[in-house]
Amino acid sequence: MTARPVLFKCLSCGHEYEGTYDPDNVAERTCPKCRSNSVRRLPLAKKK
Amino acid sequence: MMDVGRHPKVELLSYSEVESVAGFVGNFNVTIRKKARYVNEKECTICGKCSEVCPVAVPDEYQQGFSSRKAVYLPFPQAVPSSYVLDMENCLGNNPIACGKCAEVCEKSCIDYDDQDEMMNIEVGVVIAATGMDVYDPTEYDEYGYTRYENVITSMEFERLICAGGPTGGNFIRPTDQETPQSIGFIQCVGSRTQNGRGNPYCSNICCMNTVKDTLLLCDHYPGVEAKVFYMDIRAFGKGFEDLYMRSKEEGVKYIRGIPGDVVEDPNTNNLLLTVENTTTGKLEKHELDLLVLSQGVIPRKDTDHVKKLLTLSSTSDGFIMESHPKLRPVDAPTKGVFIAGCMESPKDVKDSVTQASAAAARASILLNAGKTKIEAITSIINDDKCNYCGLCSRVCSYNAILSSDKKTQKLPVVIQAACAGCGACAAECPQDAIIMRHFTDEQIMAQVEAILEVDPHKHLLTFACNWCSYAGGDMAGTSRLQYPANCRLIRTMCSGRVDEKFVMHAFKLGAPMVLVSGCHFADCHYINAVHWTQKRMDKLWNKLDRLGIRADRLQLEWISAAEGQKFAKVMRAMEDKLTAVTQEEIDYTMKVLSEEDRKKAAKKGGEVTV
Repeated sequence: MTARPVLFKCLSCGHEYEGTYDPDNVAERTCPKCRSNSVRRLPLAKKK
Repeated sequence: MMDVGRHPKVELLSYSEVESVAGFVGNFNVTIRKKARYVNEKECTICGKCSEVCPVAVPDEYQQGFSSRKAVYLPFPQAVPSSYVLDMENCLGNNPIACGKCAEVCEKSCIDYDDQDEMMNIEVGVVIAATGMDVYDPTEYDEYGYTRYENVITSMEFERLICAGGPTGGNFIRPTDQETPQSIGFIQCVGSRTQNGRGNPYCSNICCMNTVKDTLLLCDHYPGVEAKVFYMDIRAFGKGFEDLYMRSKEEGVKYIRGIPGDVVEDPNTNNLLLTVENTTTGKLEKHELDLLVLSQGVIPRKDTDHVKKLLTLSSTSDGFIMESHPKLRPVDAPTKGVFIAGCMESPKDVKDSVTQASAAAARASILLNAGKTKIEAITSIINDDKCNYCGLCSRVCSYNAILSSDKKTQKLPVVIQAACAGCGACAAECPQDAIIMRHFTDEQIMAQVEAILEVDPHKHLLTFACNWCSYAGGDMAGTSRLQYPANCRLIRTMCSGRVDEKFVMHAFKLGAPMVLVSGCHFADCHYINAVHWTQKRMDKLWNKLDRLGIRADRLQLEWISAAEGQKFAKVMRAMEDKLTAVTQEEIDYTMKVLSEEDRKKAAKKGGEVTV
């Protein structure tokens, strides 16, 4: 599986940013704004 | 190498590749592909007649492409076993019209065009991995003109050009005019110690001393040749290295502190013009050189990922293989019975590689001589009655320590106790709670959660900390006398991968305002990649909290290393700030929702709905 673009949200400072996610090659996440690791991969919006 | 080849107790399998490694410490089963040489290595007398008549010429990899080799060739002069090998990709084959000349001239009839790869299985007790390294390709540094200007070469190419066994027989010449260069420059740290996205951030360890050695060779072979070294730091640590550096200076080699920003070739003379800021004098200098050598750094081998999968190893952020413990077990891999040596662990010179290899051999012999191994008591056991054969446990195990289950044949998963490292990721992932993590059981951890939240739960910062990094980071904060909130309560697990979803939910259900899960940084994970599962689980948990209408940011995740006492204290202070923002209504709502969830689950299991 290849990396796909996803939206991340820092649960420490609330900063949202775009990044890539590869389930086979999980990388450490760090908020570019506050350096916290509480970075959540936001779920994809469901298609109607 | 010759000694190894002749040793009665060493079976050397050259020109072979490991296809798979199964089993565990003391019982590894290794499948090896012995590649077809197309030349009988036992009969070959390396007379060289086959190579003489071979009409094919391809660039010689060993000579860095400065000379050519034939399709049937000796890989390098001291190759063990001493035998030619046929490169079938370039060979014209046995078609009598096309070629077949090597077979015709070989008196011992060694050439066998029908030779096939051979698969073999061997049983071994321990494995020592020493797969080496690759060198950095400097074409990325466009300003140096490598491959654009012929007189810009790498340190590896320099090595071949000045070597008596090299393509020029040791006559050091520059590529454009085959004349001995009179002024030679060396640029250090090409691909090393960079922070600008090109190359690598680490020091490659060997390049400084390699250049010092090269300058001494030049001064010895060609007195009068002018050598200039452009550097940012000369790192000459190690026995005798500073002396060597001083000797090089005494021989007249000029060391200029500054990395050139631009290299241009004079089209008439093919000389190279360097522009460099000498940071010692603060002046911009121009240097004209006949030849430029790029001191390229060291990088992990391209096939490192393959080796990692074979031996269940992990790597650090720079791509080199991670040791079990950097100080106390520097040659042990995280997988029991596997040892590492040489540049696969980090860039190092010959002396350090030999030292590490000797240590790895000694560590291996301890195991082999003992004939048995001690294991930690912290391992997983499977409750057969609860298991539903989903196979998730064996998928999450970084050590391949759980033999997979099979629903069709009703085969239960089996934990190989000797291979289990005790991270507990399997126990946390098991949806049936069918795995008991000895010494860190669900009941034990739940009891700690309950004890912490028994009185004034809204005042406590509940933190799950991994044994190796975060818990030690907390220790570091304490011993460094750093100030952090006194209401933080730590629950130690061996790995953050052990933190089960139900521990977190249970804490929220009992009124915890904030929960922190902390573990090692990915590059420091003491259980290969168990920490990856922590992050995946946290994503699931945040989604679940969202679904239940609970603020996801009440669950925080931080990677804190043992040395990051400052970070530990900072995180705890930030948690305290967040705690004050959690209202009693939120806590009450959370407790109500989660209690309701539990009731629903229990009803589902019991087959009836309670009102």
